[in-house]
Amino acid sequence: MGKKTILTILITFAVVFVLIGTLVIVDVSLAETAVVELPKLDPTALNILGKKTDLAKPYMTKIFDLYREATGEKLNIMPIEDDIYEDVALKMLQNGEMADIFLHFHNADLEMFDAEENFLDLRDEAWVSDLTDSAKAYCTDAEGDLLGLPFWESSVSGCYYNKTLLEENGLDPASNQKEFDTLCAMLEDQGITPICWGGNGCGWMAQFGMDPVFADDAALLERLNRNETSYQDIAAIRDMVDWIDRAEAEGWFGAKSLETGWDQISPMLSSGEAAMTFIWDTWFYTDFVDGKYKKEDFALMPIFMGTADEGTYEGGNLNMMMVNKNSERKDDALDFLRFCATPENYNEAFKGISTVSVFKGQTTNIQSHMVSEAMASIERLERVSTASTKIIGYSGDKVMLAINAMFGKNGISAAECIRRLDEDRKAEAKLLGAEGF
Amino acid sequence: MQQKRIKWIVLPIVAALIIALVAGILVWYFQNITKQGTIDSRRHLEEVYGQVTNSFKAFLHAQWGFLESCDGYHVIDAQVTNDVYLEDFVKDKKEFWGFDDFFFLNKDKEYMTIDGTRGAEPLKLEGVSDNLIDEGKNIMAGETINGKKVIMIAIATRDKNADYEYNGFHFDALGVSYTNTALATTLNANAFGNRETSDTEAGAQCYIVDKEGDVLLSTQAGGGVMNNYVKFIGNLLGKDELSQITSDLAAQNNGYLEYDDRAGNRRCLIYMPIDFDDYEMPIEFEGYSILGDVPQRLVSQGFMQAQRSTMNVFIVIFSLIIAALVAVVIANTIVERKRNRNELKYREKMFDVLSNNVNDIFLMLDTQSRTVDYISPNINRLLGINVKDAQADIRVMGACAIDEDIIVPDEELRNIPLNESRQWETEYMHQTTGEHRSYRVTIYHMNIDGLEKYIIVMSDRTLDKRLNRQLQQAFDAAKSANEAKSNFLSNMSHDIRTPMNAIVGFSVLLEHNADDAELVREYTRKIMASSHHLLSLINDVLDMSKIESGKTNLTIARFSLPDLLEELNVIINPQARAKNQEFSIRLKGTPPDELMGDRLRLNQVLINILSNAVKYTPEGGKIEFTVQEIDQADNSKQYSKLRFIVKDNGIGMSEEYLKEIFEPFSRAKNSVVNSIQGTGLGMAITKNLVDLMGGIISVESELGKGSTFTIELTFATVDDEDRDVWFANRISRMLVADDEEDICLNIREMMRETGVDVSYVTDGASAVDQAVRAHDLKSDFDVILLDWKMPGLDGVQTARLIREKIGKDVPILVLTSFDWSDIEKEARDAGIDAFMPKPFFTSTFFQTIRPLFVDTTTQLPDEPDEKFEHALEGKMFLVAEDNEINAELLTEMLALEGAKCEVAPNGKIAVEMFEKAEAGYYDMVFMDVQMPVMNGYEATRAIRALDREDAKTIPIIAMTANTFADDVKDAFDAGMDAHLAKPIDMDAVRRTVARFSKD
Repeated sequence: MGKKTILTILITFAVVFVLIGTLVIVDVSLAETAVVELPKLDPTALNILGKKTDLAKPYMTKIFDLYREATGEKLNIMPIEDDIYEDVALKMLQNGEMADIFLHFHNADLEMFDAEENFLDLRDEAWVSDLTDSAKAYCTDAEGDLLGLPFWESSVSGCYYNKTLLEENGLDPASNQKEFDTLCAMLEDQGITPICWGGNGCGWMAQFGMDPVFADDAALLERLNRNETSYQDIAAIRDMVDWIDRAEAEGWFGAKSLETGWDQISPMLSSGEAAMTFIWDTWFYTDFVDGKYKKEDFALMPIFMGTADEGTYEGGNLNMMMVNKNSERKDDALDFLRFCATPENYNEAFKGISTVSVFKGQTTNIQSHMVSEAMASIERLERVSTASTKIIGYSGDKVMLAINAMFGKNGISAAECIRRLDEDRKAEAKLLGAEGF
Repeated sequence: MQQKRIKWIVLPIVAALIIALVAGILVWYFQNITKQGTIDSRRHLEEVYGQVTNSFKAFLHAQWGFLESCDGYHVIDAQVTNDVYLEDFVKDKKEFWGFDDFFFLNKDKEYMTIDGTRGAEPLKLEGVSDNLIDEGKNIMAGETINGKKVIMIAIATRDKNADYEYNGFHFDALGVSYTNTALATTLNANAFGNRETSDTEAGAQCYIVDKEGDVLLSTQAGGGVMNNYVKFIGNLLGKDELSQITSDLAAQNNGYLEYDDRAGNRRCLIYMPIDFDDYEMPIEFEGYSILGDVPQRLVSQGFMQAQRSTMNVFIVIFSLIIAALVAVVIANTIVERKRNRNELKYREKMFDVLSNNVNDIFLMLDTQSRTVDYISPNINRLLGINVKDAQADIRVMGACAIDEDIIVPDEELRNIPLNESRQWETEYMHQTTGEHRSYRVTIYHMNIDGLEKYIIVMSDRTLDKRLNRQLQQAFDAAKSANEAKSNFLSNMSHDIRTPMNAIVGFSVLLEHNADDAELVREYTRKIMASSHHLLSLINDVLDMSKIESGKTNLTIARFSLPDLLEELNVIINPQARAKNQEFSIRLKGTPPDELMGDRLRLNQVLINILSNAVKYTPEGGKIEFTVQEIDQADNSKQYSKLRFIVKDNGIGMSEEYLKEIFEPFSRAKNSVVNSIQGTGLGMAITKNLVDLMGGIISVESELGKGSTFTIELTFATVDDEDRDVWFANRISRMLVADDEEDICLNIREMMRETGVDVSYVTDGASAVDQAVRAHDLKSDFDVILLDWKMPGLDGVQTARLIREKIGKDVPILVLTSFDWSDIEKEARDAGIDAFMPKPFFTSTFFQTIRPLFVDTTTQLPDEPDEKFEHALEGKMFLVAEDNEINAELLTEMLALEGAKCEVAPNGKIAVEMFEKAEAGYYDMVFMDVQMPVMNGYEATRAIRALDREDAKTIPIIAMTANTFADDVKDAFDAGMDAHLAKPIDMDAVRRTVARFSKD
């Protein structure tokens, strides 16, 4: 067989592979392109763009109905599948086809939408004064712009503890980090797992410790998001990881923290096996199943995770209604927001809904006794959900995986854990195309 | 064994008792010391926490004093005179005392802090009654301000009627608040320091609790989280202890107890009510107790250290005792094991030695692995198997097995039940030598020290089998011999009766025909012939009997082989001639003339064989007797091995008879043989005598063709004579003439050693020519030796011609195997100087010719019997004979010879008769041996012992039926001079008497 023959065969194969590869890529591109189907705006109606599930919430449909009834105006509700929502919205924005009202959770993705450029600053609206401080802080960006009307159910994340169990063992809740550590140690002494730590998929827990770090220091958050600093450089992050490492070593998370997932939290708490967990109040009304102990046995205290001596609460993540700055019907949109922020309307909409009050005048909602009892403390120590929403590249699941790697006798060191947290975050940020990464 | 068993039972019991005793003492000791420790711990804790209580009280008094000073100096006339001053004062004190805040309180428990902040809600001041301020009491109470837990210490203003005001706030009391952390230092017990213990153990803690156990103040890190001590500790205490502490706190009693925390650490708990009676300013503080919760190791550290030291000492001592005991036991065990090992080695060694000296093989195999635990080392000697090879794999024994199933298959081994055995006979072959050995193999399936083993004993049966075989052969032989004896007796009955019949019959005829001299001589001759036959028969029987009984001894003495052969020739040649047979004696090689051996027995053997040859060779047959010297491997000059070959062309023997020819009492069964007289013992005697002489006898025969007997015997040699004697007698060359060239060559070979040059010719004419030629050359032969029987000119004719031509100077001898008496006169007339018997021997030759050189007169070899005819005449004999008939017979026979005798019936009388007789009265004594009173030997000794001259010299001649060589020897040993065998041969008597006659 001659060299020419071999070369010919190789070239033939190469051409075939290139063609096949091209076809596959083209096919994938076409497929991806095919997913993004932009909804049609109705010029005769007020167009509201939101996730399908979000728009289906009872208080949302209620307020839409109330509006239609009260004004006779036409609303074009544009529900988008949750998983493609951001892409569709971004595409619509890029196409100049953004809806009049755009619902967003004000997480890091909002940066893609250039809120300052595309949406109205609502700080001067009258209803702003009726917002709770927490809700107001949530909707305000770094420049002080109020980006939207928070019309959403809310909750308070904190350390929910079995006050009956503590009482039975002669213990009180902690008011500072040292007391919390003592409390954990004494619960451990009593044979009770102090903290139900959900190492199996409960990625939200670690973010509570980070909130005070970045919520209290917006400049630090910016530097982090610009990749000008990293977790390794932040003492509070190191303290947090050290505390988690020590707590696990002390046995405060129990022996099966790595296996504990969403479904195990309720039985562990209701049976008295564990005394505390880091979660939100509405969880008790959606997932908690009464056992030996009932939801009434539980109370709320701040989360102590080495980053705030007096502890911290995380406010709820609020879906806010943003007004398209470029919309021809932006005035109608502002009117709609004002309609929603009217006490009688939101009280009607949230009537019987379990939620922390977003409006000061909110009276018809059901607020948990846990939140009510700790309200003074909450007002003092609550932070806006920052870590999970504001840190570019943050992933609760990856954070939990890095922390899990630290557990056990053969676990990685705290320093190694932090290094992994940074690596994961930066990799994700790079994937998102964030500047500086 | 029994003692050892008791020892192994008692030792553990004693050891257990000692351990139990020591353990009991330790338990008692530690129980007591623990009890004492508890008392000491409590006392120690009471002391420590008493001091803590006092310290805390002092702190409170200081606080109240401070607040009182504020009241006294700064709150005047119900007005705070100088707020700024008070603020500075409080600020200084805050830095000094570390309190959290300074309060102004009113009766409604509303408050304002020093910085002018009014409380949103009234204080709760838990445990403080509403009218406490009205009562002007000092206050200490727990409070939560703005979510922060604090301890409030306060005093009421002194003037109850005044209206005190601060920044517009009307107040009735002053107070300071302390966080738990700030106050905790007042409760720290310096005795235990602030030692944080391990992760699993809390350090020393102190609490101030109320009657229900609610915690007012604690020293816990962070403080504040413990709200009720009793509830907290409740899970760790027993029911009784919980009840005790609950009731004690409620009743304000002192108390002490110990408990284990969840990690198992021992902790001490002490509680004492705080009593303010000793202080001037009582407060509403009733029902509070101070409570110390301390790790026991901190409380009684020294005590525990001492306890540990004591325990360590105990443990060390106990360990030493145990170690000593163990050492003793180990030492004993080692000694015991060593002894056992030595004993085992000794036993193994002994067993090895034993097994090496027996032919039994011992093995021990493991039943499971079939590994060899033991194998006796003699397996190498007995079967040629290397011991190590057998130990490595027992299957190597299979190579020695004659039978294929020698090694029992595993299946069959497994089938041997425990404590039972299996046995079988088998045969092995030695790996190297191929020797077969028989064994009785026994396999025992046994349990030895809990291990199942196969013990294999291979008992050697080789010797038994061999013995059995030999016994069987002996039995067969005995049976055969018995049968032979039966046959013999049957034959002997015939053989004995036959001559006896002749003797008796002819004796009767003799009596009837006594007057007929011719018939008398005829009958007498036949009676004598029959008697001689009967005598030979008896001699053979007796000879055989003696040989078989092992009583035959050889008499080794120097003898002349030529003489022996001549004697044989003399005896056999006439017999052969009588049957017209050709008998020749041949010599091969150069056998020595003189030998050491038993001439008599050798003669007997050869006569037996030669007589048989004559007997069983028909008339006209041929008998050759050859004597051959056999070369010996070592060329030894000291011994000479001779082969005697007797070959005939007689009737021969059957193959069947050849197998038993040497068996006693056997005779061939055929008509020819049956017609020949014989005892059937001759060949058996011959064989036994050859065996006795260390020789070998063999026979080849074929019926109708003849037989060849070959005997090989080894004799010691005698030094040859000096060859110089030949030169001394001027014999240097000789001429030999014999038609058989071999004989010529043999003579030349034999004469080589003498230095005599031998020329030979094979006929008479050549001999004449040679002799004449030599004579013409003036170089005559020194000796001429002529064979008698030669073709052409015979020896006599040749000698005559030589004499005719060369004269009488050269000696001429005739060599012949025949009796030359018939030709003697003719030969001498022909000029023959002497005769020499064949075969040629140098010694005979020399003896024959020497006289010729000294005296030319011919010397005849033997004297004629006529010389002794009158040897007995006129002689007087003393005859010792107990048998009257024999005595009478001898008397008559002597009388016939002209001699007289006197008979003594026993030896004793013979001695007496000799003693009484005058010297010379008796010429000789004929002494029987077996006699009553005194036998012949004793009588001879007695005569020789007599004190008279002739007793030493008188010839005493044994005349006895004891005819064996030993008998002869015994006779000579007893002092006799000659031995004559019965029946009496008068010729022998004459010759013997002539020998000892003085005249």
